[in-house]
Amino acid sequence: MTQIKKSLPYIIAVVGAFIAAGIFIAAIQYNPFEAYKTLITTSFRTPNGFIQTLMKWVPLTLTALAFTVPLSSGKYNIGAEGQFLAGAIGATTVGILLADLPPALLIPLVIIAGIITGALWGLISAWLLYQFNINEILSTVLLNFISFQLVDYVATGPWRDPSAGAPTTIAIGQNGYLPMLIKNPPLSIGVILMILVAIGIYFYTNKTTSGYELVATGANPRAAKVHGIDTRKMFLLSMVIGAAAAGLAGAMEVSGVQHRLIEGIHSNFATLGLIIGLISRGKNQAVPFVAFFIAVLEVGASAMQRTMMIPSQVVLIVEALIVIFILLSDLIKRRQK
Amino acid sequence: MEQTTILQMHEVNKTFDKVKALDNVEFELKSNEILGLLGGNGAGKTTLMNVLYGLYKMDSGSIILNGKPITIPSPKDAIAHGIGMVHQHFLQINNYTVLDNIILGTSVSRPWTADRKKEKAAIEELCKRFGLEIDLDAYIETLPLGVRQKVEILKALYRGVNILILDEPTTNLIPQEVDALFETLKIMVKEGLSIVFITHKLREVLHICDRISVLREGKNVVSLTRKDATDEMLVRAMVGEGMDLQKSVIFSESSKRVVTTKKETVLQLENVSLVNADKINVLSDISFEIGAGEILGVAGVAGNGQRDLAEVVMGIQTATSGTIKFLNEDITHSSTKENISRGFVYIPEDRLADGFLHKASVAYNLILGYHNLPPYSNKGIVNWKNVNAASREMIKKFTIKTTGPDDAGGNLSGGNIQRVMIARAFSQSSKLMVAHNPTRGLDIPSMDFVYKNIFEHAETGMATLLLSEDLDELLLISNRIAVMYRGKIVGILPREKFDKYAIGRMMSGYDQESK
Amino acid sequence: MTGIETFLVEFLKLTFLSMVPFVLAGQGTMLGGRTGVFNVAQEGIMLTGASVGFLVGYTSGSVFVGAIAAMLVGGLFGLILAYFTTTLKMDQFVVGLALFFVGTGLSTLLPKLVLGITLTPPLIPTLKNIPVPLLSKIPVLGPILFNQNVLVYISVLLSILLWYLLFKTNLGLRLRSVGENPKAADSLGISVNRYRYLTTIIGGMLIGLAGAYLPMVYTGTFTELMTKGRGWIVIALTFFGGWSPLIILLGSIFFAGIEVLSYRMQVGGSVVPFQFLNMLPYIGTIIIMIFTFGKSRVPAFLGQNYDRERRTL
Repeated sequence: MTQIKKSLPYIIAVVGAFIAAGIFIAAIQYNPFEAYKTLITTSFRTPNGFIQTLMKWVPLTLTALAFTVPLSSGKYNIGAEGQFLAGAIGATTVGILLADLPPALLIPLVIIAGIITGALWGLISAWLLYQFNINEILSTVLLNFISFQLVDYVATGPWRDPSAGAPTTIAIGQNGYLPMLIKNPPLSIGVILMILVAIGIYFYTNKTTSGYELVATGANPRAAKVHGIDTRKMFLLSMVIGAAAAGLAGAMEVSGVQHRLIEGIHSNFATLGLIIGLISRGKNQAVPFVAFFIAVLEVGASAMQRTMMIPSQVVLIVEALIVIFILLSDLIKRRQK
Repeated sequence: MEQTTILQMHEVNKTFDKVKALDNVEFELKSNEILGLLGGNGAGKTTLMNVLYGLYKMDSGSIILNGKPITIPSPKDAIAHGIGMVHQHFLQINNYTVLDNIILGTSVSRPWTADRKKEKAAIEELCKRFGLEIDLDAYIETLPLGVRQKVEILKALYRGVNILILDEPTTNLIPQEVDALFETLKIMVKEGLSIVFITHKLREVLHICDRISVLREGKNVVSLTRKDATDEMLVRAMVGEGMDLQKSVIFSESSKRVVTTKKETVLQLENVSLVNADKINVLSDISFEIGAGEILGVAGVAGNGQRDLAEVVMGIQTATSGTIKFLNEDITHSSTKENISRGFVYIPEDRLADGFLHKASVAYNLILGYHNLPPYSNKGIVNWKNVNAASREMIKKFTIKTTGPDDAGGNLSGGNIQRVMIARAFSQSSKLMVAHNPTRGLDIPSMDFVYKNIFEHAETGMATLLLSEDLDELLLISNRIAVMYRGKIVGILPREKFDKYAIGRMMSGYDQESK
Repeated sequence: MTGIETFLVEFLKLTFLSMVPFVLAGQGTMLGGRTGVFNVAQEGIMLTGASVGFLVGYTSGSVFVGAIAAMLVGGLFGLILAYFTTTLKMDQFVVGLALFFVGTGLSTLLPKLVLGITLTPPLIPTLKNIPVPLLSKIPVLGPILFNQNVLVYISVLLSILLWYLLFKTNLGLRLRSVGENPKAADSLGISVNRYRYLTTIIGGMLIGLAGAYLPMVYTGTFTELMTKGRGWIVIALTFFGGWSPLIILLGSIFFAGIEVLSYRMQVGGSVVPFQFLNMLPYIGTIIIMIFTFGKSRVPAFLGQNYDRERRTL
């Protein structure tokens, strides 16, 4: 019963956001009920819809964790975009250069390359913070913009696929494709990997000594430091772990979905990841569930734009409103004490 | 002098987070008097005056000034009614000059230019009238605390207050400066002001105050004139019947610390110096030893390197030169983690900021610093079963009011947060305790509890480095007192030679300056 | 004039033209920061300002009206930021990030709603230069400094005015005290809330205007995400500028210079692939931050909310 009581403010927040957004949708001359019906049910109407939802769920969970893990130590990683792309570049590079290796070798190499390059991209910001005390919000965002240029360079360079319209590389070696759980509609084992990662991160933050230090650092860095915890190391570690998660998402998008590096492959994953992280209020264990919900909304949003001509940005507004309402409900809880 | 009542507060009530800070309190201030508002920490004295000064809103009650009921919704209104306040933590802008700090918030003759000549002249007049000497163009951050206090007083005088509230004004003053302050207060009373003197120090109140009003746990206890007051009466009023004064460390003559210095040297510092990032010598050539079971007090005005000394011993900062030895082992470059595993305990000065994790659970707080040691952790995995069991024990032993180990830290009241930190500090068998102002903010029974715990641990051989800005505390429980001034140890006195004024001279660098 | 001279004059003229968004948004950020409010939503506010400024300018036929609309929208964002942080006391970063999302999404959504999905976006006439009589005839300096659009002049004058207000008047003394020590300011009767609201709203207006400058002067139209990270660079710029109006002005000129340089090098043909030239402004920002972050003098209570009744031991 208390579990329901605890979740009540959040449920009210979500409903409130939907109502507010519904008013907005009506104001721009569309039918909110039709819109919501499409938004929420598309994922469950067809097997294709459900598989699409699962495939979106994977990168969304990982980019959200990329935000929440550093947040546990008190740092704001806004660079999941760049770290995702760095991971995608790393995976593509290995996938193209070593295309002749057998799958048993190539697949792990591709994935690990993505994790490492994503982690390295995050390490730049983490190191700037560690060494020069540079605010990580700024450095991660600036690195995002740099990564866009890098992707453009790779996608229009020697590996360019001339037959494609937008800047895209040639495909990575077939041996590098992630194995599929289901062939049609396509669902890769990325889902299983992601779930393992989420569980691993949960175990790390809640059960290990290092995880304790991470949480303590985020709760009060000064007190943590004075009691022996190397807080600067914790900031760095948390950012690298988050960046690695984003890099993994990028690698899986290349290896399991697109099989090549496309400009714009990062889609809106990072932005949504941030939103999911905020809605989860930084709790790693809530992230997969919230991410699934957002994945449902996103799949519904594309359908909504296709069939009803409602711009898909509307769903972004719904999601932003949910964040705001949840933060407000936090406030109300605080006042009640 | 004929005295009339100029201010009354009736039936004042104020609750903070379910704690009743003020319970139907009555207050009366007469003209041309110094009224002492006496009580331990948490008694409600500062809360009551913050209500009067418009910083807090009372839940119910009334304020009557010169016979007329008034409301004070904000400090601006308090000032308009002629009520000024000098807080314990000065409310000053560090990178502004003295002049700018004084005139801030007032209307000036030429607001759209930088010309403040008129205001400067007016303030210089005030300085002469009240005997306060200050360089108006100096930047606050360069001034010592005693001078900064004068700035706070000038702020109130500049605004023409008739009533001045001083909250624990002698906390950061050496004995000589305390005397100077009392002289200033007497001048102010002669010039027509009334003073409210908030303090927890008995002796001061008997020295300077005309009347004394005692608060305890948010309630009035007694109000009397200085003539009618005795030490014993006031002590009883402050602590109530619950405390056994005979067994207390603070009040009982018989349980004064017995000097037993064992042979073993626990901590040894040799020529320790620390240069900070701005290339300033915050510690210079510090040398001393502490034996097992000994309490070495460190006296000094705040800001003379005490915090840096504590952090260097604990390993939070590393000495630039010199050696630190623990039981003959060189620990100069040890990390805090290593020192804690050696049996060091640190009670930091600002316990809310440096000692508590508001956003984590009570259990997290109780094991902070020891989290990586058995039985709490094994090979990098936390044993939550052990943590929770130990937490429950500590909650019981130190009477921490909480729903359990999983309660959020932020849910605890201020007093219970202190108990958590006391529990954490005294639940380990420690070899060395570094305590910085350990009893600041504690009520009298809790202060006594801390002293008792220190003595208990000292009996098992724990050495204590006690850094305190409360000279009375140091005189009470230290075996020896070292005095710090500008990062140097300027003298170490054994208990037989304790002398308040001599220590005060050393604290102000008197002996250094005259060399 | 020799070839190099022509190049330099052109380069500097373009730099002064390009500094405006940095100056306006930088001063807007600085104002709020001086009272302790750390706005991180600039990118979103600038985008909405650009979007609204363009759409209103187009539908009303007047660029001026569009600019006013952009300022109003920016001010609205400022108001929301002030309300959530100062009155509701929510974390400033989180609120700023939320507003950044809303602003970004809104800026993309509005053109779709107003114009529908179109392949050829309409154009508005861009701002014309206004030569200052006499001064614009001075060789070299004339064209660079005195033959620019009105917002360039306004940016410079604004910076000087803000410097004077903040450091030479009683109003400035009070305003700065709110960011240095809100409790002290409050105890002296200075309304922390009022100053925070004021600076955040005016700051938002300046940031909105900065965004509108892009369609108004550069391209004549709105394109998605056209700010390209300038909003974030502004935050670094304000730190680099020590939260001081005049240094922010100088810093803006510097950043604009890097921007123009990388563009120039691309157009001029260079051996370096153009993507890496595009990275220059961002890399430059990071390098500047390395040198200034430890040393910058920041308002002591920047980013912290103030609650009068909060008890600290």
